[in-house]
Amino acid sequence: MTEHLEIKLSNKLSELDGFNQALAEFGRQHGLPNKVMHDLNLALEEILTNIISYGYTDKLEHDIKVRLRVEPGEIGIEVEDDGQPFNPLEAPEADTTKPLEERAIGGLGIHLVRKLMDGLEYKRQGDRNFLTVKKKTQES
Amino acid sequence: MDISEDRKADAVVLALSGKLDATTAKTFEDKILGVINSGTQRLVVDLSQLEYVSSSGLRVLLLAAKRLQGTGGKIVLCSMKDHVRQVFDLAGFSSILSIYGSRDEAIKGL
Repeated sequence: MTEHLEIKLSNKLSELDGFNQALAEFGRQHGLPNKVMHDLNLALEEILTNIISYGYTDKLEHDIKVRLRVEPGEIGIEVEDDGQPFNPLEAPEADTTKPLEERAIGGLGIHLVRKLMDGLEYKRQGDRNFLTVKKKTQES
Repeated sequence: MDISEDRKADAVVLALSGKLDATTAKTFEDKILGVINSGTQRLVVDLSQLEYVSSSGLRVLLLAAKRLQGTGGKIVLCSMKDHVRQVFDLAGFSSILSIYGSRDEAIKGL
């Protein structure tokens, strides 16, 4: 059983299905609860969609790497990409209280990541973004 | 994701099944805006068979709700599974969209 897994995908939305399957298989191997897998799946979709849709100014193919690591009581995830610098921790908080007519269409993805995950860290190294996310696998 | 369409009097019911995510949201957007553009003012979205929603899907519902609000129409949702409802709650969508327990209640709520 792999305690670590690296999933590599290129910057196309069509890559997400294959990614989700690899993630689900990892969850099954480690017997992770459905709720944890749902939240991880959603947070990673939001992170990867942001990178794929807004991270690149050229039309070239780029690799995005997602590393999953099982630790006691939590899953650690690192997402590495060579897109434009983007620190989700500095993204403005989505306002989820405004009435319908004033509700903004953007910013919700990062909001969901913040709400669903238990820890978020960002660093820029060289020409790469590294986003580290933690998700607890047991209720504390 | 599959979308089925049903008409009840002057209301249109769109029922979604599967996953409403970044890869399927465009299909749903084209469908729902097509229904609105053809003059539908009363719209129910039945989510009883929906397994998963991400912000890409929420964005389409927000777009449709804004569009209908602009023309005096209305959109209501019904029959969400718990983990789908949780995403609506976290996104603050439960306060701007009417959500009912069943399709019949949703049609009455229009």
